[in-house]
Amino acid sequence: MARHALGWLVAANMIGLLLAALLLWPGWNEPLAPLTYGRWLPLHLDWQLYGWCALPLVGALLAWCLDLRHPHAVTHARVALAAWSLALALGGLAWLAGVTSGKLFLEWHGWARPLLPAAMGLLWTLLAAHAWWRRDELGRGGRTGRILALLALLVVPGALYLSAGREFYPSVNPDSGGATGARLLASTLGIVAIYGFLAEVLGLGRPARRGWYWGYFVFSAAVCAGIEHGHASHHEPAQVLGLATLLGWLPLAWFYFRGGPGVPAARRWWGAAFVWWSALVGSGLWTFLPGVSERMKFTNGMVGHAHLAMAGLVTSANLAVLIELRALNGRRGFWLWQVACAVHVAVLLGLGWHEAGHEADLFFSAPWTQAVYGVRLLAGAAMLVASVWWWRDAAREGTAP
Amino acid sequence: MAAAVAAIVATYGYFLLFAEFAFLELAKPLFGGELALRPLLAVLGAGGVIGSLLAAQGFTLRRFRGALAGGFVGCALGAALALGAGQTGLWLAGAVVGLSLGWTTVVLSSGLRATVGGRRLGLCCGLGTGLAYAACNIPLVFAAPPQVQTVIALVLAAGGALAAGLMQPGALVAANEPDHTPRGWFSWGVIFLALVWLDSAGFYILQHTPELREQTWSGGWTLFGNAFTHLLGALLAGWALDARRLGVTALLAVVFLVGADLLLRAGGTFAGARVCYTLGVSAYSVALVYYPAFGARPWVAAGLFAVAGWAGSALGIGMVQDLHVIPLSFSGLAGAVVGAALLVRRRRLHRATPVVLIFLTALWFSPRAARADEALVAQGREVYVAEGCINCHSQFLRPGVTQEILWWGPARALAESLAENPPLLGLRRQGPDLTNVGNRRTPEWQRLHLIAPGSVSPGSRMPGYAHLFAPGDERGDALVAYLASLGAGTLPARLELAAAWTPTGAALQANFDETKTRGLFVQLCASCHGPTGRGDGPLAAKLTVKPPDFALKEWRHLRADEPAPLVAAARIIKFGLPGSAMAGHEYLDDETVVALARQVTALHR
Repeated sequence: MARHALGWLVAANMIGLLLAALLLWPGWNEPLAPLTYGRWLPLHLDWQLYGWCALPLVGALLAWCLDLRHPHAVTHARVALAAWSLALALGGLAWLAGVTSGKLFLEWHGWARPLLPAAMGLLWTLLAAHAWWRRDELGRGGRTGRILALLALLVVPGALYLSAGREFYPSVNPDSGGATGARLLASTLGIVAIYGFLAEVLGLGRPARRGWYWGYFVFSAAVCAGIEHGHASHHEPAQVLGLATLLGWLPLAWFYFRGGPGVPAARRWWGAAFVWWSALVGSGLWTFLPGVSERMKFTNGMVGHAHLAMAGLVTSANLAVLIELRALNGRRGFWLWQVACAVHVAVLLGLGWHEAGHEADLFFSAPWTQAVYGVRLLAGAAMLVASVWWWRDAAREGTAP
Repeated sequence: MAAAVAAIVATYGYFLLFAEFAFLELAKPLFGGELALRPLLAVLGAGGVIGSLLAAQGFTLRRFRGALAGGFVGCALGAALALGAGQTGLWLAGAVVGLSLGWTTVVLSSGLRATVGGRRLGLCCGLGTGLAYAACNIPLVFAAPPQVQTVIALVLAAGGALAAGLMQPGALVAANEPDHTPRGWFSWGVIFLALVWLDSAGFYILQHTPELREQTWSGGWTLFGNAFTHLLGALLAGWALDARRLGVTALLAVVFLVGADLLLRAGGTFAGARVCYTLGVSAYSVALVYYPAFGARPWVAAGLFAVAGWAGSALGIGMVQDLHVIPLSFSGLAGAVVGAALLVRRRRLHRATPVVLIFLTALWFSPRAARADEALVAQGREVYVAEGCINCHSQFLRPGVTQEILWWGPARALAESLAENPPLLGLRRQGPDLTNVGNRRTPEWQRLHLIAPGSVSPGSRMPGYAHLFAPGDERGDALVAYLASLGAGTLPARLELAAAWTPTGAALQANFDETKTRGLFVQLCASCHGPTGRGDGPLAAKLTVKPPDFALKEWRHLRADEPAPLVAAARIIKFGLPGSAMAGHEYLDDETVVALARQVTALHR
């Protein structure tokens, strides 16, 4: 699993580096034509999301459900992972060929649209079969947890297929053209739920404090359900206040995860994930505020924010998960990645903040914007180096499937 | 005469309401779209030609009423067949409608003069044609479902059969009036072919360009206005025809049609173009009925309707289906052909020369995008999606952010954007917003920019898309058509925004750094205007309208009576000249814009 996940991280980072270089030197598009900048971008986004971000969680699920007494358990896991990776590879070909829905992070379209849902369906079938085979060795709680998880996961392939349709579009903030507060809150609570679930699966977190975690989750979900879900503006106080409830997760996440069991080598990665999580929640709320949103929306600031989430929070947490699963030792690359990611995010946030009122400089490649993009390229190269180290380490040392 | 007028109303109304509209609307869902209707249209057209020829073969004045009533009964039968029919039924209905309509038009036109005489024939044709057009533009009729329109057409055909029974044809008088004898039927065939060809192409563009369709046929007042204009134009044409001014009528028709086209291209008000188009259509439609009726020669009528009517329509529609635009050269050529056919006679060649020259001169000007049809625009949208343009360009203007409304406005309603599949709001701007790029950049500019962005916008981060314009690849033209369609209806609002803008006082009073500004001029303007503003930049040769030579003559876009020439120049630099290749530099700050304006105005002194 680690080889698949880190392989996609390397691939997506390589494309990210190419994209950063194409922004800096647009003339490079010419020899690449017809595979120009816009054709490559979906590969970077979707391989990060469905490859790197998703597969460690898939690994955790496999570890949770697989019946290792089964003679073909490892083969089953390999088949599921291979199907997943095949779907991603074919998806990449489709996007390069211009077969895309035109919806960011949901580019699955045409013949490629059912690929990943099909791979998810295969994975779900294997998970369900193994959970069934090992039902006798599971306690009542274990069985109930797996049944509930599998029921929840059952809707994912269909949801992905439907949401990739061009006719489906979520609610939009009419004053920014972006996500509403309710949408941002719901998606962030999705991350909270995933990490809460991971804590259960991997035995992380402090059981005595579990009630606080899930109690506040229920409260947040109720807030999310209670605020306007239509095309609501960020000028509506309920949207801002609803999103602000996420601030409660900063102390709560610390309170729940700190001091819990786990592999010692993973701790610094969890710590880094918490720092990024705090920055993500804080900057997410800040960029949603009236006045700030008007300045930051559509700028590189939002690109920085996205990298903060994917390269900062998710990568740190996923490295921790891989270490917890004994799939990676995670000894090297920590500071290289963290510093490069911080530089990457900082220059993009800074560029975004300064961009407003200086669009001409950006459009016409003013020297200072080239310098910023140059720094971003170097940071991206450093992140690529770190990801290649991890991929090689996983290939050499990993023991999990 | 009343019966004759009623018969014309029935024939023309049936054609306009049913054969041209409702029948196709009924067939579309069964055939799976418009392009799939081509074979059915071929059957309809072939039926029309065969019906015309059969009518010419069998026409006698003695059997006129019966033949005409029979034609109307066939029309009614065709409409009844189309109601509730499946695909097979529609094939049959298409053949019956074509045969019956072809038959009816030739029979009616061949016996009309014998019924109403030659003196008021023009008025009869004008009244009948005008009333038919007016009736079809009544909102209740126009907006009715195709099934209801078919029933109306059925009733019209039944009424036509009744009117046929009431017509009393007398003896025919040979047609030897001067407007006919100088030109033979061949010349008139060419004239009407050009007119029908031009009208059919224009009509197809109107039908398939959402913005134009909405402006032409939406709203009660617009439709009533169309109805009135049609009736007025037709009556005036009838009056002119009775005064033996067939040539003048045809000439005015082509002037109105080509004029409407030029008005649209020049970015003039659509209302003016609509009135021109409506008058042109009315005038030539009346003439098309009048000419064969006046001659009362069935074979001429059959040839005219077969060649000019059915073939002209097919050619016009086919042309825009394949080219997606009416080439300016075609408009000019059609005008020149009609003008020459009308005016070129022995010893009168000099009279044709000015008309021919006017139309040919029009070929040299291409100030505005040619209209593209829905199919090309839809293909272009797919190219936009496939190439990932959304990754760098938004199509959403935040209503509360005044700066971006000024740069790229006006804002578009969110519901409109979300109604598209997929919505292309975008998340990031590595380049400008494209919500209304159709009114800010011409197709010519877009083409040059897409092929080599850096040559048009030095420093641009955009990739080149020259490969989309490779021979045989339609994607480039489709993308240009799509971009031209974005915000195409917002030009007046855009012009208002531009007119309301003035640079800040600080910008107007800022010190002028000539060295720095000259560098900026070279960076942003030299590709077209040349490094010294002589209009000799590397792109100048590729532009239809060449950039002015600032050094030799006064800048032609700067009005002498402008109270603040600097502001006017700054406005052009910031917002460009809509309809020309002069693009705006919306995102430059006021101080830079004013400095450039100073530089430019200094160049031509």
